[in-house]
Amino acid sequence: MKRNLITVITAAVLVVIFALLLFTFQVRQSEVAVVTTFGKITGPTREPGLHLRWPWPIQEVYHFDQRIQNFEDNFSENFTADNITLLVSVYVGWKISDAPEFLNSFKDGSIAAAQNQLQGMLTSAKSAVVGSNTLSAFVNADPAQLKFDQIQNDIEQKVRDELQTNNYGIQIEFLGIKKLGLPDSVTEAVFTRMKSERNILISQAQNEGQAEATKIKANADRQASITLSDAHAQAIRIEGEGEAEAAKTLPTFQENPELSVFLLRIKALQQSLNQKSVVMFDQHTPPFDLFEGLPTNTPSH
Amino acid sequence: MSDEHEHPHPAPTPGPAAPAPETPEDAGSQALAEALQSSFAIVKFVMVALVVVFLASGLFQVKPQEQAVILRFGKPVGTGEKALLGPGLHWSFPYPIDEVVRIPITEIQSVTSTIGWYYMTPEEMVAYKATGAVPAASATLNPAIDGYVISADRNIVHVSATIKYKVNDPIRYVFDFVSASNLVQNAVNNAVLYTAAHLGVDDILYSDITGFRDAVEQRVARLADDERLGISVQIGTGYVDTKPPRQLRAIFDQVTDARQNRIKALDDAHTYEFQTTNSADAQAAAIVYEAISAKSNYVASVQADANAFTNLLVNYQKNPGLFKQRELVRAMGQALTNANFKAYLPTSANGEPVELRLMLNREPPGPKTGD
Repeated sequence: MKRNLITVITAAVLVVIFALLLFTFQVRQSEVAVVTTFGKITGPTREPGLHLRWPWPIQEVYHFDQRIQNFEDNFSENFTADNITLLVSVYVGWKISDAPEFLNSFKDGSIAAAQNQLQGMLTSAKSAVVGSNTLSAFVNADPAQLKFDQIQNDIEQKVRDELQTNNYGIQIEFLGIKKLGLPDSVTEAVFTRMKSERNILISQAQNEGQAEATKIKANADRQASITLSDAHAQAIRIEGEGEAEAAKTLPTFQENPELSVFLLRIKALQQSLNQKSVVMFDQHTPPFDLFEGLPTNTPSH
Repeated sequence: MSDEHEHPHPAPTPGPAAPAPETPEDAGSQALAEALQSSFAIVKFVMVALVVVFLASGLFQVKPQEQAVILRFGKPVGTGEKALLGPGLHWSFPYPIDEVVRIPITEIQSVTSTIGWYYMTPEEMVAYKATGAVPAASATLNPAIDGYVISADRNIVHVSATIKYKVNDPIRYVFDFVSASNLVQNAVNNAVLYTAAHLGVDDILYSDITGFRDAVEQRVARLADDERLGISVQIGTGYVDTKPPRQLRAIFDQVTDARQNRIKALDDAHTYEFQTTNSADAQAAAIVYEAISAKSNYVASVQADANAFTNLLVNYQKNPGLFKQRELVRAMGQALTNANFKAYLPTSANGEPVELRLMLNREPPGPKTGD
């Protein structure tokens, strides 16, 4: 009896497991599922959790990733409004927004097929938007003229409009430019231009360096001479002040002009005969006028 | 004989093996039953062991730098923050009931742009990182494999940017994106393009590399916000590498040299300026001080003269003639003492002029040498 019970329980568990496998399915978080009965979509879109189903071939379950997909499109050649060839590649965050519609639009709900469709839309959207902008809208030192974000938004809007008209069950979350490029041959032309720009910069740096250095030196010299002449002027002014101050003593000398002139002459005499002088004098010069009247060694005739 | 001794009682009672020949079918089924019984015991044991292993397999560990979410039949257990399991030992029902999704969070992740650099093989990449060795270049860049950015002044520049980020909304990061890290990378690519698009080539290469890095990080942070990637960019921790095209390396180096020379010439000029103005200032100060001291000397001497004059005036007024004579003689005496050549030439007694010839040397003749 006991043995039978175990057997029955085991069998029951196995049957339950088998039945669960056949008659239920799981929808994982971040997925939804669509159930088809004999190839026709039936019932609502299944949210994450455990769900019942009829086994194959009555019902089939299609799982759809609800997460945002990262799609990087191919480089495509476009012409800007100023007729420059510009290669543009974008990245798109998109997701399945309407699973039944998505399943209807793409065989077996293939992500690859959907991205193929997106690639086509992106290529034409890029071509249209790049064609209505000049290269200076893509690269510009002036933030007011740089329309980088505007261009991204325009491409995104174009694809959204297209998705609005043809419902593929896809929704775009965001779009950004991934890469810009120039055709192979154009890079060579750019290099040539860059080279000549560099040459200009080299001679500019050389000439400007010399010119500026000369200017700085000349300025320094000028500054120095101004400083010196200012100093001389100041010295002269100081000298004048001295004279003025000295002149205050004039009334003293005016008490007896004769004496003061006499004293000045004495002083001049003393100063001029200060050193290394040759003095010749006769008997009229004081104090040698003492010799006057003395017999001299005059040659006798 | 020995045999007989060994069988003292010739089969009065049947031995253990004796009934076997009597009931052969019973023996077989019994052996089978025994075998079944023992193998059933093994099966039971294995089943119990399997159940234990099955239940134990639900144990899992969450490491310090990660969090985990249990999906039961595909649906998270708990909602929002409650769904996140912290570090430690946890238990879930084994597959297929539960599934454990691990989410790295505290770890800082880094991502590098892919679009701004020319093509390098992995070996060349290693060599470049180690020594800065640059592989040989063809004359042009192939847009399919070589990356570059276009600067605001339409120059081609190579840029590589690495930024660091942390996942701050793990549920969003893991469950809402097929590959969030790829989207972060594309945000970096976009930021590199965008930043280069409004800077001149010289800013990108030389003058504003930190500014470039900051701008890229700001842009990635903004895009991550707009796209709600669930990350926070670690501002200020990334790095960028910028290089002119290999094809133009020599001429870019020449520009750098010319600029260095220019800086040196300016430095020299400034040194000259400093020296010249300083020495002029010193001279000027000397001139002014000299004038000041000359002035005070002059004033003092005039003052002294005036004082002397006042004193002398008293004496002078007593006898002007005598005073004059005395002063004159004293002055002459002093002057003649200082003079190094003196000649007394009295006029002749009869009043005729005396003829005198002089040879004047500017400098007094030096001492004679030789004879």
